[in-house]
Amino acid sequence: MSEYNPRIVGFLCNWCGYAGADLAGTSRLSYPTNIRIIRVMCSGRVEPAFILNAFENGADGVLVAGCHPGDCHYRSGNQHAEKRIEKTKKLLDLLGIGSDRLRLEWISAAEAEKFASVIKDFTEKLRSKGPSPICKPTPVALVQHNGTESVHDVLKRTNALYCQECGKCSSSCPITRLDPAYSPRIAVEKALMGLEDAVLTDKGLWSCLTCYLCRQRCPLDIEYDELIRTCRAKATANGIVGNCSHEGVLYSLSRLMANSETKQNRLGWIPQEAEIAKTGDILYYVGCLPYFNVYFDDIGVKHVEIAQSMLKILNAAGIKPVVLDNEKCCGHDLSFSGDLAGFEKLAKMNISDIEKSRASTVVTTCPECYRTLKLGYEEYLGKQKFEVLHASEFIADLINNGKIKFAGKIARKVSYQDPCRLGRHMGVYDHPRKVITSIPGVELIEMERNRQNAICCGVSAWMGCGRHSKQMQMERLAEAKSTNADLLVTACPKCQIHFNCALSEKLPVERKDVAIETMDLSVLVAKAMNLMPNSMEMNKK
Amino acid sequence: MSEKPSVLVIGGGIAGIQASLDLAGRGFQVYLLEETPTIGGRMAQLDKTFPTMDCSICILAPKMMECFRHPNIKLLTYSELKEVKGGVGDFQVKILRKPRYVNETKCTGCAVCAEHCPVEVPNDFDMNLGMRKAIYMPMPQAVPRCMTVDKENCIECKLCTKMCQAGAVDFTQQPQDVDLNVGAIIIATGFDQYDPSEIVEYGYKKNKNVLTALEFERWVCASGPVGGHLLRPGDGGIPKRIAFIQCVGSRGRKFGAPFCSSVCCMYATKEALIIREHAPGVQVYIFYNELRAFGKGFHEFVTRAKEEYGVNYIRSRPGEIREESTKSLSIWYDDTLTREIKSLGNVDLVVLCSALVPRTGNKKLAEIMGIELDDCGFFKVTHPFLAPVDTPVQGIYVCGYCQSPKDIPDSVAQASAAAARAAEALAMIKEQKVGGS
Repeated sequence: MSEYNPRIVGFLCNWCGYAGADLAGTSRLSYPTNIRIIRVMCSGRVEPAFILNAFENGADGVLVAGCHPGDCHYRSGNQHAEKRIEKTKKLLDLLGIGSDRLRLEWISAAEAEKFASVIKDFTEKLRSKGPSPICKPTPVALVQHNGTESVHDVLKRTNALYCQECGKCSSSCPITRLDPAYSPRIAVEKALMGLEDAVLTDKGLWSCLTCYLCRQRCPLDIEYDELIRTCRAKATANGIVGNCSHEGVLYSLSRLMANSETKQNRLGWIPQEAEIAKTGDILYYVGCLPYFNVYFDDIGVKHVEIAQSMLKILNAAGIKPVVLDNEKCCGHDLSFSGDLAGFEKLAKMNISDIEKSRASTVVTTCPECYRTLKLGYEEYLGKQKFEVLHASEFIADLINNGKIKFAGKIARKVSYQDPCRLGRHMGVYDHPRKVITSIPGVELIEMERNRQNAICCGVSAWMGCGRHSKQMQMERLAEAKSTNADLLVTACPKCQIHFNCALSEKLPVERKDVAIETMDLSVLVAKAMNLMPNSMEMNKK
Repeated sequence: MSEKPSVLVIGGGIAGIQASLDLAGRGFQVYLLEETPTIGGRMAQLDKTFPTMDCSICILAPKMMECFRHPNIKLLTYSELKEVKGGVGDFQVKILRKPRYVNETKCTGCAVCAEHCPVEVPNDFDMNLGMRKAIYMPMPQAVPRCMTVDKENCIECKLCTKMCQAGAVDFTQQPQDVDLNVGAIIIATGFDQYDPSEIVEYGYKKNKNVLTALEFERWVCASGPVGGHLLRPGDGGIPKRIAFIQCVGSRGRKFGAPFCSSVCCMYATKEALIIREHAPGVQVYIFYNELRAFGKGFHEFVTRAKEEYGVNYIRSRPGEIREESTKSLSIWYDDTLTREIKSLGNVDLVVLCSALVPRTGNKKLAEIMGIELDDCGFFKVTHPFLAPVDTPVQGIYVCGYCQSPKDIPDSVAQASAAAARAAEALAMIKEQKVGGS
């Protein structure tokens, strides 16, 4: 057996790190040949996505080298790099890959020796650590509806052959209104004309939010979201890559979970006093919240609070739920972005783990997990043995059975954002409203477009987030604000991310017209039960 | 079988009326069964008819009266079919006559009782847009011209009894079973309008300025709730812009009906013309999918609407209707001919040309008579081309909208066909009897 030779990907900044490596070469310094160098203009350019992508593709370690603090060619690029690397290290720890496989070094153009010694040291450390736990993705048996199905078959399966070209979809689509270049009607029309290439190469294929508004309204029951999902899978199979947001880091996370043999370290969020079980009847499926908590820590959303709230609510109701210590991503984003093979892997792992836990009911706080576990797994892998409930349904049930005790009045005016996966995809409209209105003191004020007519938060499945997403977010936030509510509650962690992200940026409108506090439904309930820290303004007894 | 061969006609709309008159004219005894207090049906609710723009009730009322006066026709209004036994030439029929609590022979229809009745309820004849009293006549031209007490809403103050000079009000009336022996049965139950409130994006029932087409017919009708003035239902204001949306619930696979109601393109054009004649300043928009103007004079009618009356036709099924801050409506649509996504703002009134569907009561009727409905709820016939009015049970015939979507002239023609088929069957029976004896 040949000796294990670690593979290192090095992102070196043009002005310092790369020049240092160059000097090491011209100075004929010797260092291990394990590094493959990628020159970047600045260490600040290195996104977490690049690093995760390197690991996905077989790197055992990643080195990022930039200028010394204060020496950045672009003044502060290396400071950005430092923050990003810190974030990425946390992600690597969560994933079980280990933060010590990622190294950030300041190497100036003169420090050839430092470069050589860093490489030498990193190579040795990685050698003693052993190979990365990430395996190269192996092709899996493609789940149904992929590959072999012709576009015509897809049109038939999704009822698109019934299209009357009436334009109801296109005049409903929130994207088409902002960007007429994309329209569900024209996509279907092209497919009907047999222009398969035109459909698969159309940029609009990746603009669709799969928010179900057109499907909800289509009199012919055309399953646009499914049509788009299948076409994306076909496009992906043909090597076409969609425009993902955050450089695809969230897909990388999903794929790394699908292809990793090690155990994640994902239970760090569980408060000491909370109780969980290894096996049991009820399982709380946390989803990507611990990862979001790291990645989105700079937009003011504390995602583990959602998980903590839910766990505490369950505990307070006398339930000790199972929480899986190696729970994988549900696969929602991969299934909606065309990677059905990755989706299938994740789904099978989750199904096996859930079955092992002997849980008969799975509760989720994320509507995308909810849709995927409940519907997606059934669509692709057959009916599952466990029942899936969204937190809003489960909490509404606890309230009905008198198992929830609210601590006092919360004098707040609340508006509710229907998440598209929970509402239109799964038909859950009443439960979240029932939960909100059960809290003493809370007044629920509906937005003009609610329930079936609700508008998406602007991004879904981490597909492209551009100008139109931001416009939609501004419009939706303004709609929430115009109700005179002071709190926008949603039952989807991703809606909350997208709204908060929009508000964290420079706004194209007056801040007072759109700025509104957002909160997850579970957090609101936990605060009302005094299970989570409660700000003073909340409790006005 | 009685001396005079007889026929039961179920449904007192234009098809039932025509079939009854045809048969009565040939000397048959006809029993015309109607579940509401008056005959006339849907046609009586319409303001005008296309493409001639005749006043609907003006051409219908004489026929209604003829039914009433005809010695061979017996009206069984406010009645229900309970049971049918036997076969062609000898059907034994049980009918329940609901009590009107008003004596039909004594009542003169002066409506003094209604003037004094203290209870007001929505008038179903006016599609619940206007009000009527608990003792009422659905419309001024009702046949029989007789009041009816709506027992569900009556508070039994008996003020009507006191006020009636003819002494017609009679609260002692009881439901009455009527047993008939008829040789043939003709079904003509017509249609209902699909309630589009589940198509939430159009805001029907949430927004007062969104009406269905039948509601609009009553709304603009001279005998309707606002006396035929063209007003905005929400606040009584004067509308400037009115839009029609076609295929609401029809030709779909999810909501309403899978078929084309066949009359909406034309009645929307007719209603557009009514609007333009009432108030030439009002802009009218018709959102259509395919313009189905296939009958004699229909296409010319649409052309006239476009050219002479300036009605705007837009090929689109709008995505949604939103309420503007000014309380008027805006319609979002994709102009499929120019591929532009637009909104039509400042719309004061939207008329939803909602699907016309076979009546839900057909199911029960079919069970009683041992015949079948198709998937859509229309009565099945033995052959759609060659026997379009024959049900599989000999002696039972169907005509009008309950057989398939159609307009008034086609309903009338089919009613005559059904009458002819019934007469033919009875003639055969008579011949057999004569021959046999």
